Amino acid sequence: MDNPPEPRYTQAEAYAPMEAAAADAVTALPDFPGFKERIWTEMPATSGGIDVPGFTIVEITYVFSLPDSGTPLVRETYVDVLREHWSSLGYTIFRDAVKEKPDRTDRSLVATRPDGISLWYWVSGYTVLRVQSGPVTASDHEAIEHVPPTGGVRPGGRFDKVGKYFPDGIPADGAVDPFDSPDSYEDVL
Amino acid sequence: MSELTWEHLRDLDCGAIRTLGDTWKAYVEQQLAHTERLRTEVIEGHLSAEHFESDTATQVREQIGMTADRYEDDLSDYASTRIATTLFEVADAFEKEQNELKELVPLIEQHDFEIEGPRSEYDVNLSGDLHQAILTLNPPQWLCDMCGVQKPDGFWDLDTIKVLFNGVDLYGTAIGLAGQYQDWLRAVMSRAHDADDEAAAALSEMRENPTELPPRLGATYDDLVDDYKEGVTEEVAGEAKAIAEGTSGMSPEQVNQWWEGLSESERQALIEEHPEWVGPVDGIPTESRDTANRTLLDNDIDRLGTQIAAKEQALQGMDPESEEYEQAKEELDGLKGDRDDLANLQDRITNDDGTPALAEGPEPKQPYYLLGFGTQDSGRAIVSVGNPDTADNVNTLVPGTTSNLTDVDGLINRAETMQSDAQLAAPGASNATVMWLGYDAPDTIVPEAMQERWADGASNDLERFTKGLDATGQPNTNHTLTGHSYGTTVIGHAASQDGVNADNIVFVASPGVGTDTASALGVDEDNVWSTTNSLDPIQLSPDFLHGANPAGEDFGGNTFHSDTGAWNANNHSTYWDDTNMAGRETLADIATGQR
Repeated sequence: MDNPPEPRYTQAEAYAPMEAAAADAVTALPDFPGFKERIWTEMPATSGGIDVPGFTIVEITYVFSLPDSGTPLVRETYVDVLREHWSSLGYTIFRDAVKEKPDRTDRSLVATRPDGISLWYWVSGYTVLRVQSGPVTASDHEAIEHVPPTGGVRPGGRFDKVGKYFPDGIPADGAVDPFDSPDSYEDVL
Repeated sequence: MSELTWEHLRDLDCGAIRTLGDTWKAYVEQQLAHTERLRTEVIEGHLSAEHFESDTATQVREQIGMTADRYEDDLSDYASTRIATTLFEVADAFEKEQNELKELVPLIEQHDFEIEGPRSEYDVNLSGDLHQAILTLNPPQWLCDMCGVQKPDGFWDLDTIKVLFNGVDLYGTAIGLAGQYQDWLRAVMSRAHDADDEAAAALSEMRENPTELPPRLGATYDDLVDDYKEGVTEEVAGEAKAIAEGTSGMSPEQVNQWWEGLSESERQALIEEHPEWVGPVDGIPTESRDTANRTLLDNDIDRLGTQIAAKEQALQGMDPESEEYEQAKEELDGLKGDRDDLANLQDRITNDDGTPALAEGPEPKQPYYLLGFGTQDSGRAIVSVGNPDTADNVNTLVPGTTSNLTDVDGLINRAETMQSDAQLAAPGASNATVMWLGYDAPDTIVPEAMQERWADGASNDLERFTKGLDATGQPNTNHTLTGHSYGTTVIGHAASQDGVNADNIVFVASPGVGTDTASALGVDEDNVWSTTNSLDPIQLSPDFLHGANPAGEDFGGNTFHSDTGAWNANNHSTYWDDTNMAGRETLADIATGQR
């Protein structure tokens, strides 16, 4: 069985640059309303049609609340802003699509960085910013450190969905919380 | 085996079968009125304790009550569930295939093809007239249109010569189309035979197992009545066992009706005392299966732990250089592997406190449901992210070559990704994704994935699984079946041979699906979707292995775009990678009914 190309990061190493990429995107977004939730997930890394043990793909998803997902700011303006921002950083835009649906217009903007990390801004039912690692060597969960979320998600809160990596609890102390936001925006919207 | 011919099916009056089912249903309702009268007018009326008070009167009341109970049970189990439902199901199945025949047979005739061969293996061949027309350079207009040539209007003009030089294409095109119709016809008749055989099995099983009646009143009544009551209790267990072992002849819909007909205490008793008769059974609701399967999983892990301890102890008394030791060590390693695999599955779907875990995904977070597992062969695991019984959209993923229990984490991750994508695309709907590793997947690309036997082995189980989802789910649920790689071959075989319950079928990176035409899948062709990225080597699979590539032009159905990964990477499995957001978006749209 062939392995995927030698990755730049291990899984444990990948979270920090991926989170930094998300944080960088947030800084470019004007009148940013805050994300509702952050989710850390994995997908199988494959080669030759076969899932390769020892490798994984990390995906970090930041989700806007449903009301925010529907605003022109988030659905249209942010696409334009991110396209310009990511292009200015030298990232390769390899998907920039618009899909008309009966009740809404979906958009999809994808950029890749030279280190293999991809950024996917997907305007669909929800609007999300996704950061993907590409294939990385899998790490034991004990080796993975909690990286505080960006964009207003409260570290260790209900919507910081990284719990399966930290069964003993998420270390909230000392975490950076730039927006000092509540667990949920639902009450204030 | 079904003796149904295509002519029988074409001419069959499905309405008459359905009317017969209605008659049985009406009969059940009528008869229930009689048992109700027995209870209210006899037991609680004329023969009530108020009028007759004696041991004999009590016995008589009890005996009449038991007879009424038995009659009602039989009406429900036999007249309603077995007979009426069988008639409705077979009428629906025949009518669906009959409608396909009504579309297909005129096409065969219009194109001057002929249906030949035995009912088990129909051929669609070129007629003698069509052969002659091609050979005499007078091909029919439809064939000229398909080959992109003008129909010759005289001898040896330019068009005629062009046709002549395209003679091979004319034949090839005509034979190719006949082959597609043949696939379609064989699939229609295969599903019709399957429905016929299943109906026959359901009815014959009923005939072979007549039920006991309450004992007659008389001197031996007291001796026999306790046995009878115990027998009634054991009957439910016997039915559950027969259903679980596949000898009841009941369809998933009938199993569901049987389950719903049990009392709450009977259902609970089965889940607690015989989880092995509940967990794996299609047609039993997801919550109950999940509870039973989690118990079975605990039990299996404990059992394997005991076996491992015993084997380790036995090893200590053996000569490490002996053959016996080698064999025992190998068995020990197998047991440990199975235990670790099951423990890994358990860890994934269970919280530390033993409660069912929730998948990490967008709100609302979805629980994992365990619908099946096993350590045989390369292992089995059927895990749903979200409850398919309550979901608006259910997407069932069938994975491909080398899928096994050991790597189940990655497979569940993929299902979780698909559920998450669907939820993000359709926030107003509830979305569940099932990872169905309910078959022994090929372990190798060469030679195993080149063989059909793995798909044929999975076909009936996938049919029953999808029909079970239909039986336990909501009436208007949008069901999608998504296959990846060899998983598409599994779906194709099941759909064309046995029939599946699906609104949409999606083939991702298919080596072929056992048929050359989307028409043979028994699903509206508009809802058949295929994708293969331009660098995926799977498109080089020869047609003789598993049939034509469903993403090819002639297959029918729809195709959608998937982006490639790096040019120098193997692009067969990049469909859920960070290089194919286009494909993931489309998959989510299909699964949520937005395409």
